[in-house]
Amino acid sequence: MTRTMEQTAPRTAPPSRLGGLWRRWRGLGIAAAVLAAFAALSAVRAFTGQNPLTDSGTVQATLAFAVPIAMAGLGGLWAERAGIVNIGLEGMMVFGTWFGAYAAWVTGDPWLGLAAGVLGGVFGGLIHALATVTFGVDHIVSGVAINILAVGAMRYLSILFFQEAPGGGASQSPQLPGFPRISLPFVADVLGPLQQQRIFLVSDLAGLVIGLTTGMSVITLLAILLVPASYLILWKTPFGLRLRSCGENPDAAESLGVPVYRYKYLAVLVSGGLAGLGGVFLAMVASNIYQEGQTNGRGYIGLAAMIFGNWRPGGLAMGAGLFGYTDALQVRGATAAVHALLLLIAIALVAAAVVQWLRGRRTAAVVALALAVVLGVWFAFTDTLPRELVTYSPHIATLLVMALATQRLRAPAAVGRQWRPRGGS
Amino acid sequence: MKRKFVAKFAAIAAAGALSLAMTACDSSGGGDTGEDDGGSAGTSDIRVGLAYDIGGRGDRSFNDSAYRGLQRVEDELGISDIQDIEPSEGESDSDKENRLTLMAEEGYNVIIGVGYAYAEPMRNVAPEFPDVHFAIVDDEIDDVDNITSLVFSEEQASFLAGAAAALKTEEDHVGFIGGVETPLIHKFEAGYVAGVAEINPDIEVEVQYLTQPPDMGGFQDPARGQSAAEGQLDAGADVIYHAAGASGNGVLEAVVDREAMFIGVDSDQYQNASDEQKPYVVTSAVKGVDTAVFDFVQSVADGEAQSGVQRFDLATGGVDYTTSNEEQIGDIQERLDELKQRIIDGEIEVPTEP
Repeated sequence: MTRTMEQTAPRTAPPSRLGGLWRRWRGLGIAAAVLAAFAALSAVRAFTGQNPLTDSGTVQATLAFAVPIAMAGLGGLWAERAGIVNIGLEGMMVFGTWFGAYAAWVTGDPWLGLAAGVLGGVFGGLIHALATVTFGVDHIVSGVAINILAVGAMRYLSILFFQEAPGGGASQSPQLPGFPRISLPFVADVLGPLQQQRIFLVSDLAGLVIGLTTGMSVITLLAILLVPASYLILWKTPFGLRLRSCGENPDAAESLGVPVYRYKYLAVLVSGGLAGLGGVFLAMVASNIYQEGQTNGRGYIGLAAMIFGNWRPGGLAMGAGLFGYTDALQVRGATAAVHALLLLIAIALVAAAVVQWLRGRRTAAVVALALAVVLGVWFAFTDTLPRELVTYSPHIATLLVMALATQRLRAPAAVGRQWRPRGGS
Repeated sequence: MKRKFVAKFAAIAAAGALSLAMTACDSSGGGDTGEDDGGSAGTSDIRVGLAYDIGGRGDRSFNDSAYRGLQRVEDELGISDIQDIEPSEGESDSDKENRLTLMAEEGYNVIIGVGYAYAEPMRNVAPEFPDVHFAIVDDEIDDVDNITSLVFSEEQASFLAGAAAALKTEEDHVGFIGGVETPLIHKFEAGYVAGVAEINPDIEVEVQYLTQPPDMGGFQDPARGQSAAEGQLDAGADVIYHAAGASGNGVLEAVVDREAMFIGVDSDQYQNASDEQKPYVVTSAVKGVDTAVFDFVQSVADGEAQSGVQRFDLATGGVDYTTSNEEQIGDIQERLDELKQRIIDGEIEVPTEP
């Protein structure tokens, strides 16, 4: 478990000049890495002829898979940054799917569904906050209780409200209205032919742009914007600093006059609301029906994405994106494209080997290189992967990246602890 | 302290994941109407108990079909002492055993387990109550005397679905989406692929499963169904058949979006579809769980209880294709009926394994 990997010794700070340089060029470095990865993907696409790797349909499916995970992950981020472990995200998502579906179905207005779904998630957050902050219940126990409660309670409500409805049942809602979808005009017309040309890099970019600008649900856009918004709020405002201080050292925060309870409550409510939004997305954007069990573990995967992203919004979005991308590829039936990913992973391993060698970690470099050779040979001598393996490719890819990226994960210091104010004593 | 926390976290996360995996729903069901009219017996000493699989009544599919069979038992056989019991979320095999035992002890002498999840529990419980007539839907148990297995030749109906798809496709490219890759769903795939090949071996068939066991989520994840269908449509398919339970709602949505064609499963999905969706539903491969349940209870009432494996196929009307969308099916119905007859006559052997 990554949670045990907290650093005990303070990180040795880099020399200040280098640190300043790094800070200044960090954005550029990340951009260059992303570009290089995309170029490698494009090269693999051109080499193997597996066009689904970068076409616009894959991009859109990636968004459809990544958004609910990212929303759950963001929910986890908000809560854990304030020191509350929120394993109840799954249940809060279930609240979001049901209440969103009910309000949208009754009123016929998807926006009221959105509001109700988010409020449903907030309601789940309120239960969690009440239990963990006010009553000091173990965070995990409360979260699991919410997950169980949500499934049972929503089934009860479904029997009450959906059973008799035309098209509804004890485990599903009638068909729901959808949100408007927006497209940039002309983009698909202009870039469409370019995508068909299958030119290295150019066609791939065209596919990416078309996927991101055509037929995108407004909720998808909203969800994407929430990632930078969370970063700005939590890291660039005094409010965010205070909230994070409650997760790092609530005693110190209290001594400086931060109302810790209020911040924790607020964080968990926002957390629930984000999970609820993820639920609304599942019921009304990724599909058009409330279905019991449709969250299918996405809340837990969101938590994993948050840990993957080292409790930061950008990393979390990358984790959700990686998972969503691999999942989209395999669910869309592009098993040959998943096979082509072997080659991409081999390339990534070679790159990792070079980096490790330069850093003087010879053993790690040799291991990475050996793995790369194995994968390369595997790719060269097979045409497909077993379906059983392909289904789990998102999980495997995520594990691989976590193993490769030798980042040091660091959870907020006081996460998961019961906290009581000391004021006055 | 830290370690304890981690252990607890892991244990509970695992428990949560497990209970999620068990929210599985069977993807089978029926909507076919029965053919014969019982009405004779009306034996008053028969008490019928029906235990549902996950999903329970109201799933508009498998379980509801079993319930319709139970209603016919009440209406036509005059048996009033009937009871149906819902499962609970994430229950284990021992919960199912307890439920079966409880029903038998309470004096129910006809007990039907709906769904293959009841296979092991029933195998364990049935020998203790030799006077009770047990039946299981969707699983073959032939070594216990008082268990009757009600199984369906899904591959035969799927064969006709494949033939319909092959006759309807304009791109010579069709698709199949299975919920979870289990042997049961393999039967659907095998029949479908064979049906397509019967019409035109050059037609390309996309096959996709949403999840692998033990993750049964593929039967209730419409978002996944929709993405899988979009993938197949993008690849060039224009008719999609699914055996994915509630995930099929997502498949239908994607098909309607692209104005392609959809073939339903289990129940007549044309009847369940909204007016906007109806034109795109070509036909459905249905499975008469209601008929099976009714026939079984009737056989007990008549004093000639069925035993062993009861197979419901095209010949008995236990599985079939639907013709409710007359506009779509009109021009191919003749061809399908001809194929159906050839299967019934044994001229065509439909494979059960892909």
